[in-house]
Amino acid sequence: MSRMNKQDKIEQILQSLDANQRVPAPDFFYTRLKARMEREFSDGKKNKAWILRPAYALVVLIMVLALNALVILKGSETPDLNNNDTETVQSIAAEYSLNDNNTLYDLIPEK
Amino acid sequence: MNELELIQRLRNGDEAAFKFLVENYQDRVFNTAIGIVQNAEDAEDVAQEVFIQVFRSIHAFKAESKLSTWIYRITTTRALDHLRNRKSKKRFGLLQRLFGDGNETLYEVPDFNHPGVTLDRKENAALLFKAIKQLPENQKIAFTLHKLEDLSYQEISEVMKTSVAAVESMMHRAKQNLKKALAESLEKKTKGEK
Repeated sequence: MSRMNKQDKIEQILQSLDANQRVPAPDFFYTRLKARMEREFSDGKKNKAWILRPAYALVVLIMVLALNALVILKGSETPDLNNNDTETVQSIAAEYSLNDNNTLYDLIPEK
Repeated sequence: MNELELIQRLRNGDEAAFKFLVENYQDRVFNTAIGIVQNAEDAEDVAQEVFIQVFRSIHAFKAESKLSTWIYRITTTRALDHLRNRKSKKRFGLLQRLFGDGNETLYEVPDFNHPGVTLDRKENAALLFKAIKQLPENQKIAFTLHKLEDLSYQEISEVMKTSVAAVESMMHRAKQNLKKALAESLEKKTKGEK
């Protein structure tokens, strides 16, 4: 194709939409649209409806209050180790020589 | 029914007014959508989404622009969203093929035949639509609204919320890009025939 022919062809292609007609929407467009809207809106209502139930709101409220109470109670508690626990921990530490922090250095021969 | 009355009735949830609106605008919306998404089924989907959005957000419409301008704006936005979704699905499909067992079928998208184009221009129009697909989004919108909906540059500027000069520039660049893409396409075609 010569350069001139090619330019003409391109111009011709660019003008190919000049005399086009508007494409009408498919038949029964409104009927299908209405059906879709009814479907979407009823689905939306169904999805949100459970949020508005009093039972759901009550359960959420109780859960929030319980969680708050738990956090407050836990926060006010101080660590309480009874004597038995302390003794056990100390005996295990002694058994494995964990009390002496310098043990490692003792193993290194002095120059 | 004048436009303000129509808007008021739509705001009141008047179904007859909504039906009137759809029947008056459905062809414009569908024609714009089909020009952008280049597929009749997708265009119907987009057109439905447009009217659902109009129904939902008519209360937010301030009537600063014409109703038609607002509807064109929603249509172009929705159509571009549709294209973006299609692209991301395509990318995901490509990944699936890469990591899948290779049994997935690869569908070639056929050339788009615009139903409103006369028979003698169909071949050329298919080439043009293929080139339009490659345009940047704003050029694609400006070119489609001008060529398919016959909107003036002034009207396009209102739809795209920009100046007339910007639309002129977009159209100029769109034509340049189309010429380039068409030249390449013709080159390939000639090589293929040899």
